[in-house]
Amino acid sequence: MARKKRLSKSMRRRLQRGFAVLSLLLLLVAIVVVAVLDRRVTAQFEGRRWTLPARVYAQPIELYAGQQLSSRRFTEELERLGYLAVANPDRPGTYRRRGDRVSVFVRDFRFADERQDARALRLAFSGDAITSLEDAQGREVAVMRLDPLLIGSIFPIHGEDRIVVAPDQVPPLLPAALKAVEDRKFDSHHGVNPLAILRALFVNVRAGQIEQGGSTLTQQLVKSYFLDSRRTLRRKAEEAVMAVILESRFEKADIMNAYINEIYLGQDGRRAVHGFGLASQFYFGKPLTELSLPEIALMVAIVRGPSYYDPRRQPERALERRNLVLRVLAEQGVVSAADADRAAKKPLGVAEPGRKGGSFYPAFLDLVRRQLREDYEESALTEAGLTVFSTLDPLLQEKAETALAGELDRLDASGRKEAKGLEGVVVVTTPQTGEIVGLVGGRRAAFDGFNRALDAKRPIGSLAKPLVYLAALETGRYTPASILADEPVDLKLPNGDRWKPANFDKQLRGPVPMVRALTQSLNLATVNLGLEVGLDHVARTFEQLGLDEAPPEFASMLLGATNLSPLEVAQMYNTLANGGFRSPLRAVRAVIDEAGKPLKAPELEVAEVSSPEAIYTLDRMLIEVMERGTGRAAKRQLPSDLVVAGKTGTSNDYRDSWFSGFSGSHLVVAWVGHDDNRPTGLTGTTGGLAVWSRLMGSIATSSFEPLLPESLEHRWIDYFSGLETSPYCNGSAVSLPFDVGTLLEPAPDCPPGAVESPATAGFP
Amino acid sequence: MPVIRLLALAALLALSGCSFTPFKTGATTGATPTGSKPREPGAGPVLTAPTDIGRPDGEPVIETPPPAQLPRERPRVPPATLSPASRTLVSQAQAQRRKGDLPGATVSLERALRIEPKNPLLWLEMGRLRMDQGNYPQAENMARKALSMSVGDDATQSAAWRLIADSLRARDRNPEAEEALERARALEPS
Repeated sequence: MARKKRLSKSMRRRLQRGFAVLSLLLLLVAIVVVAVLDRRVTAQFEGRRWTLPARVYAQPIELYAGQQLSSRRFTEELERLGYLAVANPDRPGTYRRRGDRVSVFVRDFRFADERQDARALRLAFSGDAITSLEDAQGREVAVMRLDPLLIGSIFPIHGEDRIVVAPDQVPPLLPAALKAVEDRKFDSHHGVNPLAILRALFVNVRAGQIEQGGSTLTQQLVKSYFLDSRRTLRRKAEEAVMAVILESRFEKADIMNAYINEIYLGQDGRRAVHGFGLASQFYFGKPLTELSLPEIALMVAIVRGPSYYDPRRQPERALERRNLVLRVLAEQGVVSAADADRAAKKPLGVAEPGRKGGSFYPAFLDLVRRQLREDYEESALTEAGLTVFSTLDPLLQEKAETALAGELDRLDASGRKEAKGLEGVVVVTTPQTGEIVGLVGGRRAAFDGFNRALDAKRPIGSLAKPLVYLAALETGRYTPASILADEPVDLKLPNGDRWKPANFDKQLRGPVPMVRALTQSLNLATVNLGLEVGLDHVARTFEQLGLDEAPPEFASMLLGATNLSPLEVAQMYNTLANGGFRSPLRAVRAVIDEAGKPLKAPELEVAEVSSPEAIYTLDRMLIEVMERGTGRAAKRQLPSDLVVAGKTGTSNDYRDSWFSGFSGSHLVVAWVGHDDNRPTGLTGTTGGLAVWSRLMGSIATSSFEPLLPESLEHRWIDYFSGLETSPYCNGSAVSLPFDVGTLLEPAPDCPPGAVESPATAGFP
Repeated sequence: MPVIRLLALAALLALSGCSFTPFKTGATTGATPTGSKPREPGAGPVLTAPTDIGRPDGEPVIETPPPAQLPRERPRVPPATLSPASRTLVSQAQAQRRKGDLPGATVSLERALRIEPKNPLLWLEMGRLRMDQGNYPQAENMARKALSMSVGDDATQSAAWRLIADSLRARDRNPEAEEALERARALEPS
């Protein structure tokens, strides 16, 4: 017995020692594991918790007395920004319209120069303009910006996008609802809720519906941090340990805020929508603070399965779950039963995709990204939380998309085989400031890497002609009345080939004045002129107007064999529309960092690159193109008193149909063609011009009225002969600029001043 | 349709005895009426081109009186002014410049420029801001843009030449600066 006792005693001692060593080892391992997990999760939580893609905004709408904006269009803009129509607009993001009077509570917003506080405004409209603007106290407000439309983010491929919100930007209902639905013990548990796990297991085993998941919000947060969906026991254990660690280290409020900013809530193409801040924009097109009960309930519903409960693709499923969430909220006493009932009757209220919140301006955003890449590393754009103020005008963009789609649909329906399935591009700029206000890269907004507006380089056809004429005018040896030879061209090229271009209609017109040659886009007269002026000079003009490098000096460039992208064409024509001043086209106005500090952005620059006289003369002739030449068809869709200038372009075999033209406030370049370069059967007039005039006719724009340089004067010449004449006896008299005192040959039958002046003749 | 019009026009021209003068074709004819180009400072155009004149459709429509008989003198236009909205933004920009907040001033001025892109006074302000930023070439370019938009407005032109003078002086191009200043003085309202 005693031996036994001794033995067992020593055994027990040994066993005890063994246990001690083992538990020490286990403890050590546990300590190491916990320490490792602790480092990982704490670093994630504390460090730079989120990489923030640069957020890109459209240009804000400026409000001031005199602004051309009707009350109807203004409220449309407010709707686009997610403003809510209410009886009493007493909080940011609301408005009320009564006829021509609108009261609006403008949201606060941090612009590049200052933070503009939220502010109640009263506007009065008359017809198409704002007539007065005052604050709630009735004081006049000279000028104020609306908060701009968020048009997208620059996120890495397959990357996360989010808008981080601070606790004070979160409506209290949201955390309350999250707790009620996802984690009722959140306020008291230590990271895990063993009871909930057991219950979840039990419910799962019974294969019934899951009323409550086993994971606490903290566990969900941890899971989201490490983006590992493997459902192994080890992962679960690690998650649980990390959840406990987080709870022991951080306040509940911080964990809740992290959750609200972290959790995955939807997919927008390649972009993963994270956090409720962005989700609110993505689903409802407005800031989180402005969400109502049914909207918050929907977002809480989505948490459980963003693709399963996608309110756009699975509206019924989403509605059912939203109403379930509402019932839970009422049961838990978070909201009253009456409120929940009322909310359950509301529609989902999800903003239509494409207009609100999402990134539906891919061509433009791609341009923004490329312009920023001149100054920024890719990682700075996708991670550093920059705010980018772009030049996009959402209304103009919408009109441009509509014009292009409308015209392409019409061509589809025309029954002509070549005109089926055409693609197109529209670029819109404001010439004086050189801003790109609209950019449509194709029929469908979406594209995959290939941005037609920037990357599709096509022969520009007759769009090259104005450059030939400008080069000629700049020599000082030509006027609009100069006679050009519309006669055959037969050139031997350096490679031995012969080049024999022809006119569009294969006709020869012999001697023609310059204005007619350009207006009717005569190929042979233009080639003869270009050869006279010199290919080198014409090539330099391309560069001068804004091309990065001069095109190769082939004679065929005179007829537009040069391949250019629509954006490059816009750059060159912007200089024509801007009185000979070149401004590098900008898609970005300003960039600020997370703290609001202004960073580098492309600046407004101008450079006078052409003589004012030559530009003025060319522009006057481009007006004649629209009045009596190849652009005449546009007149039907434009207000009769709107003066515009422009040029058609068609490449060989009708592969590309271009039009580039401008009013006093907009330049529009339109291209129509096939991606595979098949012939379209369209001339510049039937394709590009049709899109162009549809767009120009649908926007508020102003006449092109260049100021006459002091050394020039207008004289009447005969359009067909170039002789000086009088409009009283010559129906084809056209008024064009000449150097003061230029000698012009008079038309024998109707010389200038042929009929007495109105004052003496009592005419008309 | 155009063919018929052209035929009709040709017929009309033939009837009215209008004939094309024989043209030489070839390189030299391009430079038709070069001749003398007196550029007296006092001489200038007064007419504006009518936007819609008779078309070659066989029936010449006389719509606009020919203004060629009016006396030729430099047309004057009243000095440019700012709209209330841009005036507010310009004073804001000036305040920002005084504080040394040049990016802020840029934002304010560009806002004004979007409201009134053809107002030469705004381009002058932009030029002055570029001076503050030390971007003298752009200061001059902005002034030249203002010049092109203020034909006939002596006061604005004078201010633009002054800015050009400043920008040239800042680049040690003193003789040219002096010349620009001369032009500014000559345009000053007496």
